[in-house]
Amino acid sequence: MLSRLVFVSGRALKGSGPIGAGLVHASRSLHTSSQSQAPVPALPEKGGKVRHGIIPEELFQLLYPKTGVTGPYMLGTGLLLYMLSKEIYVVNHETFAAASIITVIIYSIKKFGPSVAAFADKLNEDKVAKAQEVKDLAMTSLAQAIEDEKKEQWRVEGRSMLFDAKRNNVAMLLETNYRERLHMVTNEVKRRLDYQIALQNLHRQMEQDHMVNWVEKSVISSITPQQEKESIAKCITDLKALAKTTQAKAAV
Amino acid sequence: MAGRRAALKAIDWLAFAERVPPNQRTMFNNLKTRSDAISAKLTSLPEKAAAIDWVYYRSAVAKAGMVDEFEKKFSALKVPEPVDTQTALINAQEAEANKTATAYIEASKARIAQYEKELDKFRNMIPFDQMTIEDLNDTFPETKLDKEKHPYWPHKPIADL
Repeated sequence: MLSRLVFVSGRALKGSGPIGAGLVHASRSLHTSSQSQAPVPALPEKGGKVRHGIIPEELFQLLYPKTGVTGPYMLGTGLLLYMLSKEIYVVNHETFAAASIITVIIYSIKKFGPSVAAFADKLNEDKVAKAQEVKDLAMTSLAQAIEDEKKEQWRVEGRSMLFDAKRNNVAMLLETNYRERLHMVTNEVKRRLDYQIALQNLHRQMEQDHMVNWVEKSVISSITPQQEKESIAKCITDLKALAKTTQAKAAV
Repeated sequence: MAGRRAALKAIDWLAFAERVPPNQRTMFNNLKTRSDAISAKLTSLPEKAAAIDWVYYRSAVAKAGMVDEFEKKFSALKVPEPVDTQTALINAQEAEANKTATAYIEASKARIAQYEKELDKFRNMIPFDQMTIEDLNDTFPETKLDKEKHPYWPHKPIADL
């Protein structure tokens, strides 16, 4: 857990591992001397395994073949007892202070460690998620841009239709004009001929009317007064005869 | 009547309409209404002129020779076709449009190539959680902190944090 905290701060620096600022220059000069183009191996996800929070697992693995599972514990106990009994480590007031401090530290790490770790992890994850979002957005927008460009190219291919439409319009206008001219010619010729016929008819009509009037006038003027008396007398005798016959019919 | 009636090409208005971009739609609609009006006018006129009944006129009209003269002149008359002044212009427009279109397609292809390149860069990128800051600066040059311009942390103007 401690190592994870260190990694969060260590990411900001070059290279891997919890190196202080002073050693950056040393690592830079180290890098320039060995120019290897091999890709950098992936960063380890978790720190080295430890037992009881502080003792690396490698010690246990080292001692296992010779002393089994209890080996390192025996070593630790033995060392501790040796140092206490021989007074290589002297018990004084500092010991008590150290014990209290270590107790508090262990207690607080056990209590708040996971939440702090989660918080640090979340910070990192947020950064990664934001970067991922940017990348996804960029990829989708690029793909969309490519699609749009292809669509525009397809649209451009249809340009010949516009010109076909225009030429069609021109041809239709010409054809319409030609037909109109044709019809106009025919109609004009017809009108001329019809006019002639109408003229002729009018002439004949006028001649006819005039002749009829003239004939009537001359006939009327040629009826003499004596002829008129004779015709009236004849009419009266005819009427009398007709009256006699109708009377005879009515009586029968 | 040779030479007239350059064959009208059938235009698929639906396919045409699909290819029109939205900002040119009004122009397309105007063109369509005009074309429809012209073709309606064309179809309303009969193709051949009505025939003149010469026999009837010959018997009806008294003046001798008039009908014959008319008939002779009428059959000899050739109505001139209207002169086509616009097709050449349209062809010139089309050639120019083809030129600009090919130029546009070239530019468009170049743009597509550029987009493809950037897309490939994104596809071949290593995942973010395996990157170091160095890798990040290589992939996205805009994240590189300018240590010469701002030598003190955070190496960028405070407003940009």
